[in-house]
Amino acid sequence: MSSLPSAENAEPNLTPVLDMVFQLITFFMLVINFQAASLDLSLKLPVVGSARPVEKGAEDLLVLNINTAGQVMMYGNPIKPEDFVRKEGNEARIKLQLAGKKVKKGDELPTLVVVRADAGTPFELLNKVLTECQSEGFRKFALRAMNKVDAG
Amino acid sequence: MRRKRKKRSGSQEEVTLNLAAMLDMAFQLLAFFILTFKPSPVEGQINLNLPPPRPILPPEQIQKPETEEPEGDGPAAAHTLTITINSAGNGQVASMQVGLAKLFDGGLTADRLRILDRRLKDVFAIEGKPYDQVLLRVGKSLAYGELMKIIDVCTKQKMSDGTPVNKISFVELPEN
Repeated sequence: MSSLPSAENAEPNLTPVLDMVFQLITFFMLVINFQAASLDLSLKLPVVGSARPVEKGAEDLLVLNINTAGQVMMYGNPIKPEDFVRKEGNEARIKLQLAGKKVKKGDELPTLVVVRADAGTPFELLNKVLTECQSEGFRKFALRAMNKVDAG
Repeated sequence: MRRKRKKRSGSQEEVTLNLAAMLDMAFQLLAFFILTFKPSPVEGQINLNLPPPRPILPPEQIQKPETEEPEGDGPAAAHTLTITINSAGNGQVASMQVGLAKLFDGGLTADRLRILDRRLKDVFAIEGKPYDQVLLRVGKSLAYGELMKIIDVCTKQKMSDGTPVNKISFVELPEN
């Protein structure tokens, strides 16, 4: 008779459910990529077979999402590239000055500029952004591309 | 009855935690992560070292300083290979020139990219002409996608000392 379930003991054992849920949470926490928030996924990047995988380093990155009109896209809003690059250049210099380095406008900055431009962007507009970056002192560039055609 | 006696008997009392609240919270967290999960596409990149901008010079003048003393650190003073890419109005390549020699007329195809690749391999293999950077003179309206195909071919090349070409600079050409 003691094996019969009584009304007060009808509690399911939640431990395995909780265990599984925590494992799922751990999985999602590990795969979540906060950097992806700065990428504009509406841009159609060019496809280049030999593009190397992105190196994960502690390097300072400046991501430029450039649409076909030559504007920098920031969280879905178009911004004038000149203003944006100038502001980022100033910030990079202030950062270096706070670290005790003397830098003036045009001096080489250690920031890596990641260019994510739409495949249809005319060179004229892209070159404006690149030239602005160069005049601010950015020298290291990474041109982003897809390794293969995205099925989606 | 036996159970009651056990509980009263003291220290080995069974402690049951109420896991429902914790499970509730865990499910909320799980829901958040599932809803915000957006796998980003796998991207690659081509790393370039872009020297500071320099004034535009015709290829004849850019090619000459190869054997002379360098005047600065820009593309014109270094051992620069000039590639001229004229663009058609629709963003495609109209014609291409490596150095002073014309390579082809018309848009980019796989065959033409192979021709460019072979040509650059030949150029970089020439002894006594150690090019260390490439200057791309690009037509205004050339689409970035087309330009990347050419950059891709350029970055595949190896210089005479075996290091890959990653110093590439750009100059804008007026529209034809």
